[in-house]
Amino acid sequence: MSQALANDPKREDIVRLVDVSKIYRQGKIEVRAVDNLSLEIDTGDFCALCGPSGSGKTTVLNMIGGLDIPTHGQVFLERRDLASLSRGEVAAIRRDRIGFVFQAYNLIPVMTAYENAEFVLKLQGVSAVECHTRVMTILKEVGLVGLEHRRPDEMSGGQQQRVAIARAIVTRPAIVLADEPTANVDSATADSLLDLMQKLNRQDGITFLFSTHDKRVMDRARRIVRMRDGRIESDEVQG
Amino acid sequence: MNITSFALRNIQRNWHRSLVTTGAMAFAGMIMILYVSFIEGIYLGGLRSALALNLGEIQIHAKGYRSDPDLYTRIMDEKGTLTKLSDLGLHATPRLFGYGLAAAGTASAGVQIRGVYVDLEKRVIKLHEYLAEGTWLDQQDAKGVVVGRRLARTLGVKPGGEVVIVSQAADGSMANDLFHVRGVLKSVSDEIDRGGFFMLETTFRKLMILPEGVHEIVIMRDGKKTDLKQETAHLAAMFPDYEVDSWRTLSPMMATIMDSSDTSIYILLLITYVAVAMVVLNAMLMSVFERIREFGIMKAIGFGPWQLIALIYTETVIQIIIAIVLALALGLPLSYYYQVNGIDLTNFVSGTTFGGIAFDPIWRTLITPRAVISPIVTLAIIALIAVIYPAVKAALIRPVSAIHHQ
Repeated sequence: MSQALANDPKREDIVRLVDVSKIYRQGKIEVRAVDNLSLEIDTGDFCALCGPSGSGKTTVLNMIGGLDIPTHGQVFLERRDLASLSRGEVAAIRRDRIGFVFQAYNLIPVMTAYENAEFVLKLQGVSAVECHTRVMTILKEVGLVGLEHRRPDEMSGGQQQRVAIARAIVTRPAIVLADEPTANVDSATADSLLDLMQKLNRQDGITFLFSTHDKRVMDRARRIVRMRDGRIESDEVQG
Repeated sequence: MNITSFALRNIQRNWHRSLVTTGAMAFAGMIMILYVSFIEGIYLGGLRSALALNLGEIQIHAKGYRSDPDLYTRIMDEKGTLTKLSDLGLHATPRLFGYGLAAAGTASAGVQIRGVYVDLEKRVIKLHEYLAEGTWLDQQDAKGVVVGRRLARTLGVKPGGEVVIVSQAADGSMANDLFHVRGVLKSVSDEIDRGGFFMLETTFRKLMILPEGVHEIVIMRDGKKTDLKQETAHLAAMFPDYEVDSWRTLSPMMATIMDSSDTSIYILLLITYVAVAMVVLNAMLMSVFERIREFGIMKAIGFGPWQLIALIYTETVIQIIIAIVLALALGLPLSYYYQVNGIDLTNFVSGTTFGGIAFDPIWRTLITPRAVISPIVTLAIIALIAVIYPAVKAALIRPVSAIHHQ
C-alpha cells in the first residue's frame, strides 16, 4: 500500500508512517523499539501516543521529526519521504514545518526567554519587527510577559516549558511534536499549557502529536493511539 | 540574535577555557612576532649592512677582473658608464683596487688598497657612517687613510697613527708612501676587517701610477622596486663589454643564508603553531563535546549543519581576532623595544662573520611587514585548520543521539 497510499490526494494526512521499524543494537543485543508500525496523522489532529515507558512513543516522534531514521519503512511528512531528503533539507523542514516540545525543555542556555522563542524565526529570516511582534504575542499567550529577559537557569520548570512551547508554536508550524510536555510541570501549569495548545489547535489548525502517559493529556486528546512493545495496540477517536 | 552575538555568548560562557585558548594563541603570536623581527633584524639587517657598506646591489667589472683581479684590467670608459647609469636613475660609484704591504712600527700586514671617489661613494655606500674611531676620508687630506678594524689592531694603530704602504705600481716601479690614519672602521666583513685600506682616488692614482680607468663600479637601486635579476640582465645587455653581476652572484653564500633564513622562519612558525593548534583543537573539541546536547536541540529546531559549522567558525574567528590584537599589542612594543635598544652580545659574538657578512654584536629586531604579517597569517590559518574537525563533528551530530547525550 505504501507509495500508492502516500500519494492519494484525497487524504489530508500530515504524517504517514509505513511499515516502520526501528532497531537499536546494544552490544550483541537487538532492541526493537518500533516494530513494523504504520500510522497516519491527519492535518488538525490533536492526538496522543500513549503507552508505558519503552513502548516506542518517543522513537516514533523522533522519526516523524526527522531526528532519527527508521531501520526499515518510510516516514512521510506532508507527503515527502524524509529518507529521500538531505540533512539540510530535513533541517529546513524542522525549521519551517515542525515545532518540537521536549520533556526536558531543552532551551538554549545562553539565550533569554525572548531569544529562545525568537531563535527559529531568525533562522527563517523573518524581519526584526515581525519577529518582535510575533514573539511578544506568543509570550503573552503563554503567560511569560515580564520574564522575556530571563535565561533558562533563572526560570522555574513550568516557565521553561512555556518558553519551549512558545518556541515551538511561534513559527505557526504545520505540526507540533510534544514529548511528555506535562511531565515536569505542576498540575496548574499543565492545565494552562494544554489549554493553550488546544486553543492553537482549534483556532489555527495546528496539528498536535503528543507522546504521553499523563491522563490530563489523554482526556483532552481527540485521538488516542496506544502503543506497546513498539506496536500499535489500539487507535481510537474520542467523542 | 545573529550568529556573531550567539558566538560571543558561547565564548563568554566558559571564559576560563576561552581565556586559555586565546591566551595561548596570543602568546604564540607575540613570541613569533618577536622571533621573526629578530631574524629580520639579524639577517636582513646583516644583508642590508653588507650591501650598503660594501657590496652594493650590482657591480660592473672589466671582463676577467673578478676571476683574476689584476691592476691593469680596468673599465676604461667609467665616465660614460656612470652617465648611462645616472640616466637610468641608478646611483653608482667607481672604485680602484691594489694590493700591498702595510707596516707600522714593527708590525706589518697584507692589505687591499682601495681608491675611493669620496663624494660619489657617500651617495651609494654608507661606509663613512660606520666608523669605530676617527673620521672618514676628506678631499683636503690627501695622505689620510681609513683602515679595517682588525688591520688597525694588527698594526697597532689608532687615528693619528702612521702607516707605510709598499706595493708595485702600474709602471713596474716600487710604490711606497707614508700615510696617517684618519679613522678605523667597525666590523664590516672579513675582507675589510683584515685588509681594508681606504684612500682618496687621487692619492691611489698617484701611488699606483694609474691615471686612467677604474676596477669596479658599484650600483645601489635606492627606492627602485624593479626585480634585481631583471635589472642586472638589463644592465648586462647595456654593457656587453663588461661583466655585470648582482650581489647574489657576487656573494652566493650570503644569498644562501638569506634564503635559508626564510626557511628557518617558516619551520619555526610551523613548529610553534602546531603546538598552538593542539591547544585550539583540544579546546574546541571540549567546547563541542560539552555542548553536544545543545547542538542536538539546535539541530532539532532547524539549525542546519552549515549553520553549526558557521557558528563554531565564528567562535574561533572571534578568538583568533582577540589573540591577534593581543599578540600585536604585546609583540610590537616588545619588538620595537629591541629594535631601539637591542641585546648587547659584544662579549660573546664580537666580530662574528658568517658567509662574509659581519653581524652586529648588538642584536636588534627589525619590524618589517613580514615580521608582523607572517606570524599572524600563519596563526590564523593553523587555528582555522585545527577547528575543522570539531566543526565537522558538530555538524554531523545526529540530533536524537545528541539530545540524549549526557
